[in-house]
Amino acid sequence: MRTLVWLLVVGLVALVGIVLSQLGALDPLKNGALTVASPLERGLRTAASPAADFLDNVADRQDLEEENRLLRQQIEELTAEIADLKEAQFTAADLAELAEVEESRPDDQFLVTRVIARDPSNLKERLAIDRGSSDGVSEGMVVMSEGGSLVGVISKALDDFAWVTLITDPNSNVNAMVLESRAQGVVSGSLHDGLSMDLIPQEAEVEPGDTVATSGLGGNFPQALLIGQVAAVRGEPQDMFKKAEVEPAASLSGLENVLVLTSFIATRLVSP
Amino acid sequence: MRYVLFVPLILFVALAQVATAPYFPLLGVTANPLLVLLMCWAMVRGPKETMVLIPLAGIFKDLITTDPVGTSVLALLPIVPLAAVRERWPTESEFLPTLTAVAAASVSYHLLYMMVLTAVGDGPPWLQSPMRVILPAALFNALITPILYLPVRWATTLSEMVRPGLRVAG
Repeated sequence: MRTLVWLLVVGLVALVGIVLSQLGALDPLKNGALTVASPLERGLRTAASPAADFLDNVADRQDLEEENRLLRQQIEELTAEIADLKEAQFTAADLAELAEVEESRPDDQFLVTRVIARDPSNLKERLAIDRGSSDGVSEGMVVMSEGGSLVGVISKALDDFAWVTLITDPNSNVNAMVLESRAQGVVSGSLHDGLSMDLIPQEAEVEPGDTVATSGLGGNFPQALLIGQVAAVRGEPQDMFKKAEVEPAASLSGLENVLVLTSFIATRLVSP
Repeated sequence: MRYVLFVPLILFVALAQVATAPYFPLLGVTANPLLVLLMCWAMVRGPKETMVLIPLAGIFKDLITTDPVGTSVLALLPIVPLAAVRERWPTESEFLPTLTAVAAASVSYHLLYMMVLTAVGDGPPWLQSPMRVILPAALFNALITPILYLPVRWATTLSEMVRPGLRVAG
């Protein structure tokens, strides 16, 4: 009987807490807790990183060898490609288009932030960063890696901290385009399966190694932000759409600093 | 009330889990040492003490993660009835029931967690979750159970040995 009463009371209190959290009433409390906990978390993470790196290396040794071989091959191919492009004096249509996009956003402003935590749940892919609404960060802002590729979007901004939903999160969807063929689709996250690009028209030519970038459709992301490369293409000829596995350009598991694109305001399109 | 002294330890485990668990994945999932520790605690020392520890640990963990405050408390609740079942029907072995209870608590944790996420509009893919998350996580949590079960068992045995001595001295 005592157990039942406890379950009911604590369960009810938990539900009230969830409702209050959804209303934002507990945000100051969360902000305070993160202020206290983040230096400790950083210390613990630093202390644990040699062990994590060691285990990672042991587990990934074979993968690394294969990856190394592929990267060498890719470097060679890219070097040849760069030489070709130089020879053509940057007149290729896709480069011109990229340059146009860059010119159309000359006033982009970034905020450099530090990653302070990763969400430990198995069902979400999120990061905490050490800047929040007091620094001008707001929900919907785009987050990029130091190399300039897409990392995710701000899903919750507290006063001094913010949470970033990564593009690999199961609830993340980004309108994307394969630069080589201009084929459009939607890049989505999944449960531990990396990124996939869905809804690619069957007739579109997509091949492993092709570059995937944001298409800008929908207004939630700027155009031509690098997402990654096509790793494999799936689908039968009778399917309506193709599906491609995408290898993210940014190393999402090892991010230490990220850039928040503060000058881009996401447009929330409402159907007419 | 001596177990209250262990509250900082429980909070430290919650903090350590948030800070480091994502960097030690196995089978594509992360372990939940907090759940395992609380389940071991409840099985070895009875569910009464965990009735205090679960709300404290759960609220603290939710405050430093993206989860709405209360989610972890709700997801950790089944630990108490699971330990109560064991208390009602004691078995000769203590470790094997603990291992089973950890796996069961891990499954119920994820199911309740997913229900909350779905209710707040952040729902994960339910069809993929059993094979990709729930079962691997239950296995991973069962695997780390000995690491946390043994210290709890030893600490309990030690305190049971010390207590009669103190009575005599007093």
